Amino acid sequence: MARRGAGRRALGGRRVTIAAQAAPVVHGAPAGMPVALRVERLSKRFPVRRGWREMLRHPRERPFATALDGVSFEVRGGEFFALLGPNGAGKSTLFRILSTLVPADEGRATVEGHDVGRDAARVRRVVSSVTTEERSLSWRLSARENLALFAALHDLRGAAKWRRVDEVLECTELADTGNKMVGQFSSGMKQRLLLARALLSRPRVLLLDEPTRSLDPISARRFRAFLREEIGGRQGCTVLIATHNAEEALELCDRVAVLDRGRLRASGTPEELSRRIAGARFRLVTRGASGPVLVELARRGVIRDLVPGETEEGSGWHAVTVAISGGAAGAAAVAGALAAAGVELAALEAVRLPLADLIERVVRDDAAEVPHA
Amino acid sequence: MHKLGALLRANWLVGASYRMQMLLSIGSLLVMVVPVYFIAHALQPTMARSIAAQGGEYFGFVLVGMIAFTLLTVAVSALPRVIGAAIGSGTLEAYLATPTPLPTILAGLVSYEFLWSLVRAVLLLGAGAALGAHVAWGRSLAALGVLALIVLAHLPFGVLGAALVLWFRTAGPLPRAVLTASGLLGGVYYPTHVIPSWLHAVAGAIPLGYGLRALRVILLENTAPRAVAGDLLVLAAFGAGLWIVSAMAFARALRDARREGALSQY
Repeated sequence: MARRGAGRRALGGRRVTIAAQAAPVVHGAPAGMPVALRVERLSKRFPVRRGWREMLRHPRERPFATALDGVSFEVRGGEFFALLGPNGAGKSTLFRILSTLVPADEGRATVEGHDVGRDAARVRRVVSSVTTEERSLSWRLSARENLALFAALHDLRGAAKWRRVDEVLECTELADTGNKMVGQFSSGMKQRLLLARALLSRPRVLLLDEPTRSLDPISARRFRAFLREEIGGRQGCTVLIATHNAEEALELCDRVAVLDRGRLRASGTPEELSRRIAGARFRLVTRGASGPVLVELARRGVIRDLVPGETEEGSGWHAVTVAISGGAAGAAAVAGALAAAGVELAALEAVRLPLADLIERVVRDDAAEVPHA
Repeated sequence: MHKLGALLRANWLVGASYRMQMLLSIGSLLVMVVPVYFIAHALQPTMARSIAAQGGEYFGFVLVGMIAFTLLTVAVSALPRVIGAAIGSGTLEAYLATPTPLPTILAGLVSYEFLWSLVRAVLLLGAGAALGAHVAWGRSLAALGVLALIVLAHLPFGVLGAALVLWFRTAGPLPRAVLTASGLLGGVYYPTHVIPSWLHAVAGAIPLGYGLRALRVILLENTAPRAVAGDLLVLAAFGAGLWIVSAMAFARALRDARREGALSQY
């Protein structure tokens, strides 16, 4: 928790940006810390695998699917940054490019100043990627032996190698089971072992792809606490998390970005996204003919996204949630309009749209309809 | 070198964890040599003349052929198999994400299979010697060098197979074709000059034939390697040509697989 507080202090000057459909926009990182990761107009497309019938019918065609389309953003040192989006949004492709495993078609990405395309060897010394691919562990080996192999591949040898292996086993709470064969591990333990493997090289940037996908809720919560306290707090890693679990992003990350169909739709803190995308949302509890007043306010653009709520049987009180433009002044205007029409107003309270709803909204809406920062 | 050692050690530990499989592998080897001994003795009168220049003793002749063929099998088929498995499990990507040179990764992936085959070859030779095969043990080092050259000359087929796996997820008929051609026309079980004359030209294009002839002359005739320099040069030339082609093919296949994001999709 200490780290997140520190992160917030460091993130004083951050801003939120909503990407336009046509022109890629750099989603700026907060000021204060040096940029650890910079992605500039990154694009990638993959050939689409076709069935026999399709190949015979159109033998000369080579269809491609766009995985990333002009993605740009920055992440500062020590920041926790989430990439949110549905399946196929391009999150894993972005991680593969940053891990130097897949070359980008266009654009550029640098990690701590090293270009992932031209300077891949140096990038591999700085970045570690944690996938959920449990099969990439040797199930017939113990956790220690698995880690010893990768420690050697990261140029550690002799006593230093085994010391580092023990350190990462300790910090991932696997020290007691280090000599146990990985095939006997639970999914949660394998997940932690994958993280331990990624930590061997003391990475400065950690890429986590769906880190809690195979964990039960309690293990997932513990894992997130571990990430926050150990990886962020003690080790000071810059962390990118690709997830479609909005609550996870909310709990862990300083900033989130929404990726959809290869494009970065929005980024910022959850609070900023909420304000920018959903507007200030209020819950009104009224009695009387509020309908015509609200319709008129919506027509004038003062309110939008009207969601009817529950009605109290007998008393006639009726709840409704709306987005009101213009902040407190807009809310006062709505209250005034209702009062002028003789509508009783029992409550006018600010409500926060859940992050999952925000993402759904970003993904659903055409970017052109989303307001710019 | 320590990275290669780490990969070898890990693969050894995995192999050793299948204890029964390991024991059966050695056991079957020792059991196999006995019927070979009797069959070789039965065929000795027929074969003696045709193998006179290569030891003249059919049991030793076949034994050396089997040893070389065992190592050749690993050279041709191990790399495509381990690359396929590493793609399927995601291990290849995990290795490639480390600061380890690609040749080290590839060598490390197959090093255990080679060493294990070498152990089996030595055991086979020892069992053969125990059954009376005449082996010039003093030429062991030279024989080992020739075996290494045979492996090196055939490894490009494995590299080509691995390239095919990267492209098409299968090495196709390549390993089987190379092994079949080498087994039938490379002089593993009989000298190449006993095959029909119209096949001699084809047999001349099989690198194993040159390596086996050199190996037998050194190990069974107790002759210095200088005497078989011609065969060794031809073998080396084959190897050099194949290495150029296979290295280019593999580099291209890896580049394509990276570009298409196919390194972890089997």
